[in-house]
This record gives sequence, C-alpha cells and structure tokens, in this order.
Amino acid sequence: MKESHALIISQLVKSYGNVQALRGVDLEVAGGQIFGFLGPNGAGKTTTIRCLLDLIRPDSGSIRVLDLDPQADPVGVRQRTGYLPGELSLESNLTAERALRYFSDLRGNTIDWNYTRQLADRLELDLKTSIKNLSKGNKQKVGVVQALMARPQLLLLDEPTSGLDPLMQREVYRMLREAQASGATVFFSSHIISEVEAIAERVAIIRDGRIAEVVEPQRLIDLAIRRVHVRFRESVATEALDRIPGVVLVDQHDGRATFQVEGEMDPLVKAMAAYPVSDMETERPSLEEIFLTLYSN
Amino acid sequence: MQGLFAEFKHTLRRFRGQIIGWGLGLALYGLMMGAIYDTIQTIEGLEELLASYPQEMLAFFGDMMALSTPTGYFSTYYTSYIPLIIGIFSVSAAAGLLAGDEERGTLDLTLAYPVSRSGLFWGRWLAYAVATAVILFLGYLGWAVTLPYSSFDVGFLPLFIAFLPMWALLLLFGALALLFSMFLPSARLAAMASGGLLVANFLLAGLASLNDDLQPIMDVTPFAFFQGGDALESIKWSWFFGLVVVGLGLALIAWLLFQRRDIRVGGERSWRIRRLRPARG
Repeated sequence: MKESHALIISQLVKSYGNVQALRGVDLEVAGGQIFGFLGPNGAGKTTTIRCLLDLIRPDSGSIRVLDLDPQADPVGVRQRTGYLPGELSLESNLTAERALRYFSDLRGNTIDWNYTRQLADRLELDLKTSIKNLSKGNKQKVGVVQALMARPQLLLLDEPTSGLDPLMQREVYRMLREAQASGATVFFSSHIISEVEAIAERVAIIRDGRIAEVVEPQRLIDLAIRRVHVRFRESVATEALDRIPGVVLVDQHDGRATFQVEGEMDPLVKAMAAYPVSDMETERPSLEEIFLTLYSN
Repeated sequence: MQGLFAEFKHTLRRFRGQIIGWGLGLALYGLMMGAIYDTIQTIEGLEELLASYPQEMLAFFGDMMALSTPTGYFSTYYTSYIPLIIGIFSVSAAAGLLAGDEERGTLDLTLAYPVSRSGLFWGRWLAYAVATAVILFLGYLGWAVTLPYSSFDVGFLPLFIAFLPMWALLLLFGALALLFSMFLPSARLAAMASGGLLVANFLLAGLASLNDDLQPIMDVTPFAFFQGGDALESIKWSWFFGLVVVGLGLALIAWLLFQRRDIRVGGERSWRIRRLRPARG
C-alpha cells in the first residue's frame, strides 16, 4: 500500500444480474488531491463510489480506502469519509437541523456544530426549514453540509453541485478547496466540464465499466473539438485557414466564420494574426463532446 | 454494533406518532371494556343469547360462554382479536424498518456513516420491539385504571403479565415481516405476505376448534403457542419464551441476509421473470 494514496482500486468487477456495471476498474488517487471522476450515464461512476463505502459488494477486485479495506472495516472507512450521494434522499418530516443532528449522532456527536452552522450560512441554508419544504437545490445544500461537517479525510461526492445555482456552485468549490487545503482528498463525479476544470487536479474517465483515461482536466479540453467563432472587420478569404491541420471551416457568411478545432488552438491563433479580426469567441466543449472525441478515436 | 443506540433513539422517535395513535386507541378500548365489565354481567339472558350463536362464529372469539369470568371476558373482548388489529402496525412497521428506507433512498446515506450494518439492524429492531411493547403497555394502562372500580377480579400484575403473550406473538410476526422484506421486492409486499399469514393463522385457530383434522396443522403454528385470556390465571412461560425465541430466530436470519445484501439507491425491486421464447430452428 502506498501511504500517499487515498484510494487504490484494482480490477474491480461488479455485476447486477446479467448487467456488468464494472469490468475491472483500476484507479489510484493520491492523498490531498481533488480528483474528478467522469463518465457517461451508466458508465459505473456511482457503482464505484458505492463500492468504496461498502454499500454494495464487488464480485471481485480489491479496494483500499485510506489504507483500509471497506469490506473488512466499513465503519473505519466511513468514520474518515464524508459522502454525498448522487440521488440524495433525506427524511422529509425532519427539519434540516434535525437531519444534521441525526447524522451527528451517527458520528457519535463529535461534530463541531459551530462549523456546521458556518457551512449552512455560507450556503444560505435555513436549518429550521422542514426537508419536505426545501427545493431541490436547498436539499442539495443539506447534502453538502452533512458531507463536510465532520471535516473528513476523504470526501466522496457524487455530482456535488447538482441543482445548485452558479453562485452556490462557486461557494461549494471554495469549500472543497478549503477541505483540500486542510489535508482532505476530494473524489467527485461530475457532468459539468467547467466544474472539473475549475477544481479538479486530475480526472479519470470511466466508460463501460473501465477506466478509459486518467489525465489533467486541461488535457481533456485540449483533446476535444471546439468551435471558434470569428468576426472579421471586412470580408476576407479564409480558405487558407481551412488547410491548417485540425481546423475545419464549418460556416462562413457576412464577414463571420465558424471553425471546428481539434487539439490545441495555437496554429489557428497564429494564422489569424494575418487577418483583420474584430472579435473571436471560443465555445467550451461539453462533456458529451469530449467523450465523443475521445471515444470516436 | 457501532451506531446501535443512535439508530434505536432515532427509530423510536420515528415511531412516536404510531405509538401515540395505536397506544391511545388501545388504551381507550381497554378503558371501555374494563368499565363495562359489570354492566355486561348484569345483562339478563346473555348466556342464552350467546349459546344460540352458531359454533362457527363462537370459534373465533375465545370462550364466549365464560363471559361471566374475567378470563372468559378478557379472552372474548381482548386477546381474541386485538393481536390481529395491532398486527397491522406490527407487520407494516417491521417490514418498513429497513426496506422502507431503502425504497425511499435514505438508507444509502445512513449507511455511509460510521454505523455498522449490525448496529443499524439491531438498533432498529430493538426500537420496534420497544414501540410494540409501549403500545401494548398503554393498552394495559387503559384497562388497569378500571380495576379498582369494577368487579373484574384481577390484580395489576396478572393483568400486565396477560399482555406479554400478545407482545411475543406480535414480535414473531414482525420478525417474519422483516425477514420477508429482505428478499421480497418491496416492504409493502412483505407486510402483505406476513399480514396474510397472521390472518390465516387466526382463521386456522378458529377453524381447528371446529374441525379436528386441522388440529395437526394448527399445532405447529404460532397461534398454537399463543395464550389468550388464560394467561390471566397462569402464564405458560415456555410458550411465551418459545414465541420470543422463534421471533428472534427469524430476526437473526433477516440480519444475516441484511449483512450480505447490496443496498439499493432507491425504489422497489422487481421480480426477475424471464420471458420464455420459442426455440428457433
């Protein structure tokens, strides 16, 4: 066991009846990292995370979480872990505070309640409101608070900002960076590329129950096809730009052109220097587009 | 058993409403039946009237011909069918103890906390057993307050002891519901199956008193070891502990199944029925 690793997963296999959800996942996550876990729907993200907490049992393979085997010592793993499920369900007849007190009870009342209130205040969450009267976004805030309130060594977050508005998303990113700064490892799944780009240091892509890539987020974006919209001061001939490797001119009219760029932007930007460019805008690729680029190769 | 006490407290708190609802209902019923005991005794011709009832009807309501004795009265108006009524709470609450939360999706997060599956299971089971006991105790209190004011010649302790077989029986059927919930697709189905068995056993107990051929089957069912009003005179502890032990045994099997199972994210399971296709060629 490498002590610097928060997670080591090797050859993890899990089936649900005839459906093989994980087909041999291999993954190592260094301690103290913010690690993104990406994949299309049904790729095995949630199944992997739930195996880490012993909520489901793998058919074969091994897992080490903070140097512990979740099947042999599930309580030990959970003691040091904060978890936010992808489909968060809370007891609807409790208030947010009552729900958090119950979770605190399950941790043996070792929670710093002032810190919990601070987290709730930062997310503008009213703890006195009944769960059944909370919006989806506010329920998600309860989920974020309960995951962070014990200051765990490892955070396992399945789509942590799902349902939150952009302001609150940014606040959650700040909280995760603070958790990392205090030594925690953050392992999160996401569908939002800007989120991955904003906070993740490394990213694993899971596809069909196997890890397809482990890369830095920027590398992912570089790999993907992007659209570049250019407005010229006057009508120009752009055929030369179309001949740049990795660049395809997809539309041109009224002094505007749209290019599709695969790989780095550098050749296009340099070629543009010869043209009277009045405006240039790059469209960020969606996660789906990134997957498409990766998997079509 | 990490988390047992926290789960016990939390589950008992969740049962608050049901304890108050069922308990008060039972207490009021006990109060009424205790209060009218003397009135019932003074009704002229009651025994003759009861004697005219068909045997098939009398078979389901204890010893109706002994209404003039505390034991007969208690059997007829209480222990004959109250287990059936409180059994509704018993099987539905036990079936939902774990599977209910699993279907609502809340068990996923609970079990991500430092609580062992054993702690969770036994904490909840203990809370369920206590909730059932408290409901019956409230029923006991309702009847007990009438004792000083009626000629129902039974002490507080014997009356209390007479409630114990009901608790043991309910615990057993609750354990059965919990066990069913571990492998049937939904908590609802588990409650229906175990509730159905409870009703079937009640009917069998009545029919077996009319038809001797049914007696061998009846002899191996829980109701055969359920002491109704007779427990007022002398409780058969071996029957009581027998029911408790079988209930615990069923709970133990449910615990073993819970240890091994995958926790669902939410929703009910479904039966896996493979479609039969005609062979090709």
